[in-house]
Amino acid sequence: MSRTHDHAPIQESEEISEFEVLETAIRELSISHGLFSAEDHRRFTEWAESIGPAGGSRLVAKAWVDPEFKERLLADGTEACKEVGIDWNNPTGEGTPSDYTFFYVLENTPKVHNVIVCTLCSCYPRPVLGHSPAWYRTPNYRRRMVRRPREVLAEFGLYLPPDVEVRVHDSNQKSRFMVMPMRPEGTEGWSEEQLAAIVTRDTMIGVAVPKVDWTASSAPSEALSSPSRGH
Amino acid sequence: MSKYQVGDRVTVRDAPTMFHTRTQAFTRGRTGVVVEHRPEWVIPEDEAWGRDNGRTERFYVVRFNQRDLWADYTGSDSDTLESEFSERWLMPAKEETK
Repeated sequence: MSRTHDHAPIQESEEISEFEVLETAIRELSISHGLFSAEDHRRFTEWAESIGPAGGSRLVAKAWVDPEFKERLLADGTEACKEVGIDWNNPTGEGTPSDYTFFYVLENTPKVHNVIVCTLCSCYPRPVLGHSPAWYRTPNYRRRMVRRPREVLAEFGLYLPPDVEVRVHDSNQKSRFMVMPMRPEGTEGWSEEQLAAIVTRDTMIGVAVPKVDWTASSAPSEALSSPSRGH
Repeated sequence: MSKYQVGDRVTVRDAPTMFHTRTQAFTRGRTGVVVEHRPEWVIPEDEAWGRDNGRTERFYVVRFNQRDLWADYTGSDSDTLESEFSERWLMPAKEETK
């Protein structure tokens, strides 16, 4: 180490935030007072972090094949979620406990493309999409999606024609949103399960649209070489 | 019942911010149109202090034209942004912002 260093040593770890300190303090107090055990906490965290966007994919696929379900889903999101086993108020293996109970599904049309963001923090429909991707929580995405949405979408590889209205939803209050993408051509006769596979997380955030030859469960290289899905 | 109806043009108040409001700075003083009603819920000004049984208020979804939010907006004229506001943060639009 140089003896001429005149700056503070470079820290290996990022600084811990006040919220992290608060969370640690409350967790340790809860464990020491017997509200739950460290093992309970670990198990819950493991489960909560393993929830993915499968619930949302099922909702969209079901809505694509069942117009009546689609109507119910658009009319009352939280109620319709129960039909696929997601209870926003009581986690039942799919949801996470939260302080919000209003859920709205935003339907994309040939004229309107919806996309979600939370400029205040990182509000996200966790019971249906799991934990938000890291980029969704960055100030970069949050600042720019409300101000330059088309540029941000282009960075994700999504170019929309000028006559399509880009509608940004800033979830600043209690409601949570999920995008219902349009069913792509070439999926006629597909099963709900096949359809759900192409409704990836990003398509329900609104930074992508479903593609018949792309699912999040196969590596990009695999998808490129695999034959198109069966009909 | 609701002070504003769907289709009404409203302006977001540019009120002083005391602590937590959830009303974004970039919407202050901007005019949009009410597109949906929301149920009543506790306003963030109370909920932020743990007053879960605090004052409840009607909320509205307001849709802004992006050009009314950002003078240098580079997208399409038809592009919009929606967000929710409690009744106290809205007032009837007096003049159209261009």
